Amino acid sequence: MRAAVVGAANTSVRTSGSPSSAPIALEIDEVTKTYPGGTRALKGVSLQLRPGQVHGLVGANGAGKSTLIKIIAGAERPSSGELRWQGTTVDWRRPADAQAAGVAVVHQQSPVSPALSVLENVYLGAGAGALWNPNRRQADFAELCASIGFSIDPHAVVASLSIGDRQMVSILRALARRPQLMLLDEPTASITPAERAGVLGAARQLALTGVAVVFVSHFLNEVTEICDVVSVLRDGKLVDSFGAEELTEERMVTGIIGNRLRAVESTHVAQQPGDPVLELRRLRSTSMAAPVDLTVRSGEIVGLAGLLGSGRTELLKAVFGADRRTEGEVLVEGKPLSGGPAAAVKRGVAFVPEDRLAQGLIGDWEIWRNVSMADLGSLSRRFLRLDPAAERARAAQACAELGVVAASIDTPVRDLSGGNAQKVVFAKWIYKTHAVLLLDEPTAGVDVGGKADLIMLIRALAARGMGIVVVLSEFEELLSVADRVVVLNRGAVTAGYRSDEVSVAELTAAAGGLS
Amino acid sequence: MTTTTSNLEPTPAPVTDAPSALARIRPALSGLRPQRAGVVYALVLLVTVLVIATAAKHQPAYLSSVNVSNILSQSAPDAILAVFMTVVLISGNFDLSVASVAALAAALALKTIDSIGTAPAIVLALAVGVAVGAINAVLVQKIGVNAFIVTLGSMTAVRGIVLIALGGQSVTAQSRSLVALDSTAYRLPPVVAVLCGALLLVLAGLRLRRLKEPNSPPLDGLFLVLIGCAVLLVVIAVSAPALLTQPLPVWLMIWVTVGVAAALRYLVPGRNLYAVGSNAEAARLSGINVDRYKMMPFVLTGLASAGVGLLYAGRFNSVDPNGLTGTELTVIAAAILGGTSLFGGAGHVAKSVLGTVVLFTLSNGFNVLNLGSNYQYVVQGAVLVAASAVYTIAAKSPARRQHADRTDIGSAAPPEASTADSVESLHPAVSGS
Repeated sequence: MRAAVVGAANTSVRTSGSPSSAPIALEIDEVTKTYPGGTRALKGVSLQLRPGQVHGLVGANGAGKSTLIKIIAGAERPSSGELRWQGTTVDWRRPADAQAAGVAVVHQQSPVSPALSVLENVYLGAGAGALWNPNRRQADFAELCASIGFSIDPHAVVASLSIGDRQMVSILRALARRPQLMLLDEPTASITPAERAGVLGAARQLALTGVAVVFVSHFLNEVTEICDVVSVLRDGKLVDSFGAEELTEERMVTGIIGNRLRAVESTHVAQQPGDPVLELRRLRSTSMAAPVDLTVRSGEIVGLAGLLGSGRTELLKAVFGADRRTEGEVLVEGKPLSGGPAAAVKRGVAFVPEDRLAQGLIGDWEIWRNVSMADLGSLSRRFLRLDPAAERARAAQACAELGVVAASIDTPVRDLSGGNAQKVVFAKWIYKTHAVLLLDEPTAGVDVGGKADLIMLIRALAARGMGIVVVLSEFEELLSVADRVVVLNRGAVTAGYRSDEVSVAELTAAAGGLS
Repeated sequence: MTTTTSNLEPTPAPVTDAPSALARIRPALSGLRPQRAGVVYALVLLVTVLVIATAAKHQPAYLSSVNVSNILSQSAPDAILAVFMTVVLISGNFDLSVASVAALAAALALKTIDSIGTAPAIVLALAVGVAVGAINAVLVQKIGVNAFIVTLGSMTAVRGIVLIALGGQSVTAQSRSLVALDSTAYRLPPVVAVLCGALLLVLAGLRLRRLKEPNSPPLDGLFLVLIGCAVLLVVIAVSAPALLTQPLPVWLMIWVTVGVAAALRYLVPGRNLYAVGSNAEAARLSGINVDRYKMMPFVLTGLASAGVGLLYAGRFNSVDPNGLTGTELTVIAAAILGGTSLFGGAGHVAKSVLGTVVLFTLSNGFNVLNLGSNYQYVVQGAVLVAASAVYTIAAKSPARRQHADRTDIGSAAPPEASTADSVESLHPAVSGS
């Protein structure tokens, strides 16, 4: 089920009135937050959120964005400072208080009830009388959709929707409560560029109707595209704040990473590819629409470009044996590979999944037990007796080499930031795998600095002689990391480019089915 | 495997310095928290109450060797089942069929032992147990039916087979070999017990010394358990040597517990079992054979249930068709009392054994104090729920609060602020992730 995205993000509709003259919806005054453990997440932040404006909030992981969002949403109380809602000082003790005042929140992956329809999800717990009047609901729903320029079948069951459409459902649900302040906390992190346009368009439309919108994103191009005001947080402090007319990506990046050297992402040294390490011959799995041929050489990084649903993840899973292969064959280092993930792992193939906490790591386990999970064979005595000292040595080495920032290797991975958790997933594999690395969205939910680290890591692994297949929805990133790019459309390979001879625009067109 | 020393590009400071000695011992003390050692406290509290109550009523000492031996031998069969139930629960599954399988094994052994001999009858009973376990395993893992439903079905169907096989009548056997199996007592000489205690202390000491080695894991509750067991062994050897003479089931209970606990802790399959129970998809994508770890516990439990059935058959040298009914619930209750998670990935077999002992101490206490046995179910149920409540509340201690707060607003965002500052001071080069 694909919903048509009607209103794409449009920079020309940006409100142009002078920002300081507009009334203030929410004023945040010198708010600090110190956690019981002594962590100072916010060190005196003041912001003014105005109706009709999209206010961008950017910063690295750990800069305090999430804490600020939680305070505005009523999920946390500030340690000092105050919030003034339309001029009145408020003390929101729980999310319901903020909601009642008119604050709505949409998260990166807001929970929706998969078994219910879109309509039911949108009006779930919306009150408005006990009686469920389907006709009135539908009329309301249509009006709601129109207000953000989006259309979707209200009777579609949410379980059948893409992640992007589910995100729109969350936005619609927040909107159904007629909020005056809308917090969008990385709403586009897990969806494809095409769907992103829908979310961005919705944010702009919302501001046009007089709602104050807060937009948190790691994607600086999105912030540039839709925000009227941008505030940059670093280390719990507001380091920069400027209007759209002064906004440049350079200024944002400088604010985010401070005086730290900005990793140069485009210094790509082309490797001389070696022998083929991975060959796919008419490969097809239960969940793939068409068979695929592909050859990856040692030292080569091949990017898979495509929209959500184009079969990128499915292709990786078929190679790894996580989905059952129905047709064709996979050759690893020239020899056929059959069987499931265990067989692939034995042959030196690794898969870094998209959802790292659900599929790549065990959240409650410490870093060291996660790192050794895939390689207990060589980290134990005679494949049977565990050797915690060896496992911990491996984890310590991995943390040092990959620059994992954590209190110790005994820290549970659930407590790590996105970039560090992803490095732990890499650490599981880099000492074990020698042939092929399959990466599904390795930089999703990772901040600017972490992304640069990961990209350099991927290149270093290729330089070691691995063949790497990487899926990235962010085409600029994809082109900066990959040697060549293969375009997937509806499960089939439709084009292939060397990454230095194709632009993001061309790639976007090709992925979208244009030629 | 390639042990890489080549310099990967991003190489900031290492993650940790060697923590101080105190910091390394402190984790062991966390083993004393109620959510970790709750079942021990429950047992101590219960025994204290019973000792005081019996003393107040001028009854014989509650902790007499006879009474303690009584509780132990009553608990032993269920405790063995609780060990394997815990293994199934750790793997993320559930097995209701244990009591029916035990009854079937008992019935088969008693029916056939006079005609085919002791050893073949025992082998037959154990084989049937393995077969039922294997059927459960295939239905749950290969077909994909929910474990609760599968084992509810096999519990009912196997009980039906028992009723058919016995024609609704109790069965007895001429052969006394099963009786011998259940009741032969073995004595551990007090000197050996003291030596065992000393050995445990030496092990604990070695563990302390190993802390100085690089990369040795921090101490945990096991350290306290070693010391506690050592003290207990010496105290028993000195003050109640009669307790060192126990029938086979009690020794079996102890050996099975120690053996399974050690396998879960020290062997690769044990670690993998926890991995599969915690996050089956992550385990599968790490190359762990998930099917094997989901299926083996059922088979092992089938085998153990049949073994327990043999002990049960030997206890009275007879079995009635409804024997052991309800035991599966006692066993699951014991595992929950021991802090085993019903969601998989967490649990300790020794604590489940203690959970069993708590339940049997409770019913023993009702008998000793002459408090109508009908009340004991009310108390058992209340204790179970109270224990779970304690575990749940304790799990929300301040350290875990962050998580609770985060889920309040349904955020899936990575935890940003919680560790940010402490981390940055460790790692000045990196201001973000």
